[in-house]
Amino acid sequence: HAALSRRYVLCEVVSEDPRCRQCIEDRTLGLAVRDAIARVHGDYGLACCSISFTVKYLNAYTGTVLLRCRKDSYRLLCSALPFVRYLESRAQRYPCFLNTLHVGGTIRTCQKFLIQYNRTQLLRLLQNCTNEEERQCIQKSLLSCSLTEEQSQSGDEEEDDGTE
Amino acid sequence: RGPAGRGMAGAAFERRVLRRAAEHHYLRVRLELPDGGARPNAAQFKQLVVTALRELHGEVGAALPVDVLTYEEKTLSAILRVISSGLVKLWSALTLLSFYQNRRCAFRVLQTSPFLLALSGNSRELVLD
Repeated sequence: HAALSRRYVLCEVVSEDPRCRQCIEDRTLGLAVRDAIARVHGDYGLACCSISFTVKYLNAYTGTVLLRCRKDSYRLLCSALPFVRYLESRAQRYPCFLNTLHVGGTIRTCQKFLIQYNRTQLLRLLQNCTNEEERQCIQKSLLSCSLTEEQSQSGDEEEDDGTE
Repeated sequence: RGPAGRGMAGAAFERRVLRRAAEHHYLRVRLELPDGGARPNAAQFKQLVVTALRELHGEVGAALPVDVLTYEEKTLSAILRVISSGLVKLWSALTLLSFYQNRRCAFRVLQTSPFLLALSGNSRELVLD
């Protein structure tokens, strides 16, 4: 069953324009990534990477995106991600860039990494607070996160993402 | 009889095979323009090769180091040199190119070799009297 191996690429959308967050949706992102692959790797690269390519998960608040592709073509995909320079929606372009965080073989490994990454990011946000009000706000949302034990065997910890 | 390797004192021989040791590959190609018209000059020919690479393999393909070593405008044949790791990309791009300035065209690859000297003779066109 290793014949249908896939790779899951976890990245985050970084943009200076706050309106960019609104157009983070699976269709716009999928089109932007495929357009970048077509430019950088041509017809062959586009066809290679399009086999079982989807946007598996999106979080518009944190800008986290999880892409899926075949194992044979994940290098083509990863090398084309830096060439995504804007997201286009409703005839408007918002400049942004994609930061690759993690490449994993399963969604579960990417989820584990994302939980760990979000934890460190929250702590960093707390340290970078400029005034007391923001600090109080973040501390409150951190302390109000709850851990729910799943009844199933896996028992993954779930943690709320801090909304900005 | 060739050297036996055994039974003759001090006549041991060894055979070394080097795979993929050549840095460049050379291709003798001919461009066919069945509908006639103006022939491309050397610069336009190179542009055509790079365009073919860009269509099939994108910007990465177009950046492949390809050189046109010789070009004959009369016969539209040329000798191309490409880095060995890029041979498959170049050959596939030439194969799938079908239009030049809205005219039908086709690339025929006549010979290919990691040695330029090997392109000087072509046993397919040898005429035996």
